[in-house]
Amino acid sequence: MTLTHLNARGEASMVDVGDKATTRREATASGAVYMAPGTLALLTDGKLPKGDVLATARIAGIQAAKRTHELIPLCHQLALSSVAVDFDIDDDQGCVRVSASCRLAGRTGVEMEALTAVSVACLTLYDMCKAVDKDMEIGEIHLDTKVGGRSGSYQRGDRPAESRGAVVSAAGEAPIVTGPGMGGEMDLGLVPGAEPCVRVKCLAELRERLGIGEVVVPLERLPSADIAGLKTALKAMDERFARLDQGRVLCAVNQVMAGEGTHLTSEDEVAFFPPVTGG
Amino acid sequence: MIRVQQEPFDAGLEQQALVAGRTDIGAVVSFTGLVRDFNERPEVEALTLEHYPGMTEASLAEIIEEARQRWPLTGVTLIHRIGRLTPGDPIVLVIVASAHRRDAFEACEFLMDYLKTRAPFWKKEHTTSGDYWVAEREQDHADARRWEVSAS
Repeated sequence: MTLTHLNARGEASMVDVGDKATTRREATASGAVYMAPGTLALLTDGKLPKGDVLATARIAGIQAAKRTHELIPLCHQLALSSVAVDFDIDDDQGCVRVSASCRLAGRTGVEMEALTAVSVACLTLYDMCKAVDKDMEIGEIHLDTKVGGRSGSYQRGDRPAESRGAVVSAAGEAPIVTGPGMGGEMDLGLVPGAEPCVRVKCLAELRERLGIGEVVVPLERLPSADIAGLKTALKAMDERFARLDQGRVLCAVNQVMAGEGTHLTSEDEVAFFPPVTGG
Repeated sequence: MIRVQQEPFDAGLEQQALVAGRTDIGAVVSFTGLVRDFNERPEVEALTLEHYPGMTEASLAEIIEEARQRWPLTGVTLIHRIGRLTPGDPIVLVIVASAHRRDAFEACEFLMDYLKTRAPFWKKEHTTSGDYWVAEREQDHADARRWEVSAS
């Protein structure tokens, strides 16, 4: 596989599409904006201070698709025949899912237009809601499908779990959760050996947000034997742990509240969890 | 006495047990928290309480110990329920006994304020418009901070 945007000297260059066949091109991309339940409720009820959030984000996404060539240096200017931006409120995951489809009859694909539409629609959602929620996170922006062109059709599949590279154990201990609503825990097939490890638990909303319940991490993977080092190791093992930095996440070591600098030794139990809401 | 349980509790029976055979208690203050049918959204049909077994009991014991250092208490009962609860169900019970009412009133409020901001419980609410995890409330933190000010 070669990159057609690079010339023989490895420099960036725009691909000459003059000789490509004119075919019907279509691409769909999607992404999500994660927000607090309260923000999502305000959005659903149309009570956010800046007004109709989804209508504004839809227009922004469509406009952005048409201007992709101004933003992405090596993109051609295209006369899109259709741009559609749609939203889906996902209460369970606490997010607005954004999808965009772009279409034209032309010589080049429209995936960059679809991705740009999703990105800008997500940014607009953020802008419209940021007055009430600064912890929102934009994520999972990716191409879903692409039709037409020499490289053929593309359909995004679920990536194999092994490629994520984390050691996650779902079996074993009884679940911590005490009612319905668990799940999302994955067994990634790697069995921890006898080497020194720390056991990491993600609790409550954080477990659902990450889709990870328990992980065993070999101590040798930690750049420093403390919580900060553990976080670095977790993020290197699985990209979902980047969300440990999203919002307020608390931490306990051996069931005592801990901080970034708390020292870790083998067999320690580390729990990450959201702010408590009992009583 | 600390209990974390799925089963309902009877506040009257718990209070009787706390004061049984005692003649040094002059005041008993009891607080019961109930499941409301509205919170961040209307029409809450149920909630699920998750906790962190082990740490929950330890943190509740620590909170009670702190109350005992601040007020001369003659007895404390703290019960917190877990699992699925529906509107009207009791969630939490705090009973504080002391020789005098002021200490019992203040300690009871202190225990609830600290429980809400320090004990590892999490609520997930199930409403007619979907499920969501309850977010922390700044008012709860402000309530807990009152006790830091008065302690300094």
